Amino acid sequence: MKKIGVPRGMLYYENFPFWKDYFNEIGYEIVVSKKTNKDILDNGILNSVDEACLPVKIIHGHVDYLKDKVDYIFVPRVVSLYKREYCCPKILGLPEMIKNSIEDLPEIIDTIFDLDKRSGLESGYRDVGKYLNVSNKESSKAYKKAYSQKEKYNDWIRAELLPMNYKFRPNNINILVLGHSYNVFDDYINMGILDKLSKRNINIYTAEDLSSEHIRKFSSYTKKRLFWTHGRRIVGAANYYIMNKEIDGIIFLSSFGCGLDSVLTHMVSRQSTIYEVPFMNLTLDEQTGEAGINTRLEAFLDMMKWRDKDKSYISTFR
Amino acid sequence: MDNFYMGIDVGSVSTNLVLIDEENNLVYKRYLRTQGRPLDILKEGIKEVKDKFGDAHILGVGTTGSGRYLASVLIGADVIKNEITCHAVAALDHNPDTRTVIEIGGQDSKIIIINDGIVVDFAMNTVCAAGTGSFLDRQALRLGMEISDFGTIALNSSNPVRIAGRCAVFAESDMIHKQQLGHNQEDIVRGLCDALVRNYLSNIAKGKYVKSPILFQGGVAANKGIREAFEIELKEEVYIPTNFDVMGAIGAAILSKDEVKEKGHTKFKGIDMCRKDYKVNPIDCNGCSNICEILEIKEDGNILARYGDKCGKWSL
Repeated sequence: MKKIGVPRGMLYYENFPFWKDYFNEIGYEIVVSKKTNKDILDNGILNSVDEACLPVKIIHGHVDYLKDKVDYIFVPRVVSLYKREYCCPKILGLPEMIKNSIEDLPEIIDTIFDLDKRSGLESGYRDVGKYLNVSNKESSKAYKKAYSQKEKYNDWIRAELLPMNYKFRPNNINILVLGHSYNVFDDYINMGILDKLSKRNINIYTAEDLSSEHIRKFSSYTKKRLFWTHGRRIVGAANYYIMNKEIDGIIFLSSFGCGLDSVLTHMVSRQSTIYEVPFMNLTLDEQTGEAGINTRLEAFLDMMKWRDKDKSYISTFR
Repeated sequence: MDNFYMGIDVGSVSTNLVLIDEENNLVYKRYLRTQGRPLDILKEGIKEVKDKFGDAHILGVGTTGSGRYLASVLIGADVIKNEITCHAVAALDHNPDTRTVIEIGGQDSKIIIINDGIVVDFAMNTVCAAGTGSFLDRQALRLGMEISDFGTIALNSSNPVRIAGRCAVFAESDMIHKQQLGHNQEDIVRGLCDALVRNYLSNIAKGKYVKSPILFQGGVAANKGIREAFEIELKEEVYIPTNFDVMGAIGAAILSKDEVKEKGHTKFKGIDMCRKDYKVNPIDCNGCSNICEILEIKEDGNILARYGDKCGKWSL
């Protein structure tokens, strides 16, 4: 059986269970690169443009890891996932960046997914099939099977991406860990923040817990329509949890140099100021010293406990 | 015999030791430069305490600063607390009505917003060092002057030069350019102070409601030029507590007092630790591709602690 490599980076974190089922259905074996580690990071930095954000560099490292282990590497060009909405420019240019930065690559499957111009995901998967000489009929069948159960994505997050011993405990501090899924779930990039929270008995909420209907509804409370799909998810999730008073605080994991995050962090922090929800932004890049992140995390949790201790306290924040 | 509580703040630039009494009065303070050797400097500091207060009772110890875990391993701390909490506790002890704490240290800077004696918001610098003490340190070196003279020189300026404050590297090239144009040194120094304050307010204090009383703490508070620049920008009086340079350590000491009172005993190993021999042994683990940098600390040849690994294989 021929092998298709899937780099463990960027859109992997929101699509992998679907990709896996689709490729298995049309008769290919999937090989995923290892979890991000120092080697992958170093090779990614070496093999990518200097100005990119860390997640883009890291996916270059994952592709480099896979290149002599598989027959194809799947790096789709995801332009748009909704009408009148786009993905980040770095996601649009990802296959191009990878092909021009890394040498001796196997064939890259760089199908365009553009739902603004074309009808749906299904036609994108038909194009994927064409690379592999799979008929439209077979592709459509595999696509339908792969997407038949949407809830498998959340099962996968619980099984694979959340800390191993994570347990939800009522009456504990609830924190929304916000950011692009590749920052929230790659524990090398974020220095194991989910693990650190879990060990301190904090309940973790993420944007991925919410249905797209909730996201759509709650992101529409912003003044201007957001045209980034991923930005919409982040802002919608923040609004949902803040307005429903389900969380005690928000930790935003942003990438250094991310254009979307520079806007999103401010949108979320303004909203949390209005509703008096503590907000903290952690900027992630290549640093490996954990002292900085630990200090901020501890101070943030201390602050919440301090607020909690004095129940009669009514905030006059402004 | 006197009863004291000790607070230790192991920061990137300075290591501070304080002793307070039962009423939180400062009895002793020592400000030492860390110089990248926290272990030796800590031993030196403890030795000085021993020489001076050898017969006093130290009932509890608190550590803070980026080296707080290392310090605790050596000393046995009752409380290991982050700098934000410690600075807030010390500020509130100094003035219970404090609303804003500006703290600028060697490698980081913070703002703490307090309401009714409770920390309600804080921020620390993100990826940029331009709003911190090391920015000034570096420029002082370039200008060939002592950092301790910086503030006084700045106050002599009548016509400050505008220097880019967004990035320490940009600021440096901007400053050199202004020097080449022939601007007075005091105007350039004042320009640097203004640049730091601008960077602080637009980066760390962005979106925060700065209310008075405002306390200014950390090593940089010694710089009169910075204080004046803050007062001009904020249009409010900025107070500098007497012990501005050791507030973190004072906070740690106060917290240790509370902790020991609650627990009834201390973990402090005793002041004689300064006589022991400490060695740090770095290990590069080759167990997997993460190649973690592990540190092993030995006390008189016995392994005291190991940390730095991601998987927990080496940790004790």
